[in-house]
Amino acid sequence: MEQEVILSVKDLEVKFNLRGKILNAIRGISLDLYKSESLAIVGESGSGKSVFVKTFMGLLDANGMITNGEILYDGQDLSKFKTEKDWLTIRGRKIAMVMQDPMTSLNPLKTIGFQICEAIELHQNLHGAAAEAAAVEILNDVGIPDAANRIKQYPHEFSGGMRQRVVIAIAVACKPNILICDEPTTALDVTIQAQILSLLKNLKDKYDLTTIYITHDLGVVANVADRIAVMYAGDIVEIGKCEEVFYNPRHPYTWALLSSLPQLGIKGENLFSIKGAPPNLFSHVEGDAFAPRNPRALKIDFVKRPPYFEISPTHKARTWLLDPRAPKLDPPEIIQKLHQEVSGDV
Amino acid sequence: MSETKNREPLLQVKNLEVTFGERNHKFVAVNNVSFDIYKGETFGLVGESGSGKTTIGRAIISINPISGGEIIYKGQRISGKISKELDKELTREIQMIFQDPMASLNERAKVDYIVSEGLYNGLKHFTEAERKEEVENALTDVGLLPEFASRFPHEFSGGQRQRIGIARALIMKPDFIIADEPISALDVSIRAQVLNLLSELQEKRGLTYLFIAHDLSVVRFISDRIAVIRMGVLVEMAETEQLFAHPLHPYTRALLSAIPLPDPVAEKKKKLIVYDPDMHDYSVDKPVWCEIEPGHFVLANESEQADYRKLLE
Repeated sequence: MEQEVILSVKDLEVKFNLRGKILNAIRGISLDLYKSESLAIVGESGSGKSVFVKTFMGLLDANGMITNGEILYDGQDLSKFKTEKDWLTIRGRKIAMVMQDPMTSLNPLKTIGFQICEAIELHQNLHGAAAEAAAVEILNDVGIPDAANRIKQYPHEFSGGMRQRVVIAIAVACKPNILICDEPTTALDVTIQAQILSLLKNLKDKYDLTTIYITHDLGVVANVADRIAVMYAGDIVEIGKCEEVFYNPRHPYTWALLSSLPQLGIKGENLFSIKGAPPNLFSHVEGDAFAPRNPRALKIDFVKRPPYFEISPTHKARTWLLDPRAPKLDPPEIIQKLHQEVSGDV
Repeated sequence: MSETKNREPLLQVKNLEVTFGERNHKFVAVNNVSFDIYKGETFGLVGESGSGKTTIGRAIISINPISGGEIIYKGQRISGKISKELDKELTREIQMIFQDPMASLNERAKVDYIVSEGLYNGLKHFTEAERKEEVENALTDVGLLPEFASRFPHEFSGGQRQRIGIARALIMKPDFIIADEPISALDVSIRAQVLNLLSELQEKRGLTYLFIAHDLSVVRFISDRIAVIRMGVLVEMAETEQLFAHPLHPYTRALLSAIPLPDPVAEKKKKLIVYDPDMHDYSVDKPVWCEIEPGHFVLANESEQADYRKLLE
């Protein structure tokens, strides 16, 4: 079954210049994004997940640059784009983004209606009353009641969850092909989080969107993602279908991320926590970037960077543990338990 | 259960009411809330934003003045007018850990000052050498290096900053710590570290925690008892496992159903419950705060109580 590739990233490298020092933020990522799928990118803060998707929209800070690789979308190489004029054909129109914090991503001085109409007028050539009608329709779609009156209100008159709905409305107003959600629910309550996630799922079906979720919380994506990519130190260490990553994780870092979820914690015992800190990306990383924090790392992990090993056609991981010569290591008990509970259930 | 009854309450909150504004603009943030926190336990207070959970925490350390009820700490009333000595004593004994480690540390002060600021206002006078030693101890206790004392907050990551926030509370040698969403702003992997640190400190020093959060999955891991609050009113309170095994109030069930499961199959099967306050018919039969089984309290009227009892059997 061949799926249509909508966006293709090849060997992408991103570097930042910080006062003369070079930071290797993305260290050679290749990724195909399929049409109408939803991909979740999971990693700790500082793993480069936000930087990675920002390259799709030309939103890197001025000191950041793409030093290698290409981003192919619709026959164009986005990594070669230089001017704002180029980017405006893509940004918002084809690829849109929902930012993390709804408290800061809206303009407090303009009404909600103005901010949605701004996007519609710019990208869809609707003006005046027609744009306003479109804005009301979209607000209804994202579940804001009494939309006709609420578009005259200012952001401070909305609660956190409602504001995030407005931000989503602005993002989908231009009918993009790809919607990137950068930690869409981190700043929200658990109950609101569940509502926003189901809203995003409905919108995806309704507008036929391809969505990318970015999050640090593996627990959140189980329901929304088709595929999961686990990022560590500027690299994708494991990628596979949602079920494959949850029930048959292979990379030690994925094991660690799963084990530290409080949902799996046993009361009275210490929660699993990852020792140490992510590697310093100013210097060249030797071998497997996770090795220094992995208590069961192999010798070769410190010497040579592992290639991808295929576990199934849709599932691959970057760890020497999958090499035929490697000793057999079982994932931690807590994850096996998760697997068993479910297989017993089905 | 009998164990709970014999334990000595450290803090008692009785019919607490907190209001903001006056006359026409009056807003009741906390309405008739009562609970006991026993010595050495972790009491979880769970609710959405705007439910008044933080207000209760702030009322206990008298940041927010209360308008009704009373708060009793170690058998002594600490709400309303209290003597200066008692106030100073309380500042030492009750400490708070704040939510956002990025905003709660003074950017212009060194860690040394941030951690020891409480000592300057304390009852006891510390010499410079003693103060330095105290800071060193506090930093080591939370798993930081003593040489961090000479650095500024911006040099630390989120998890380390939260540890500084905990050190600042610990240096006062408190008995009771109010932790207001101490891990909401942190990454999942860092959350585990901070939670472990909190339970370790509790074991070592016999601390009592009031743990405020919106995420039931986190609270379950750390709390002995949990109270659920909605719109300033407690709706259910029970021992942790009891609450998870038999959630009675529909709002508690809604909160439980919102916990994301790290399991795609179960998560897709799960039905999300949305709480609708109109489902209760309280027009004639008013709800009361009642003990439905030993140690398990719920807000319900007569007919609901009968239903809940049936459920428990």
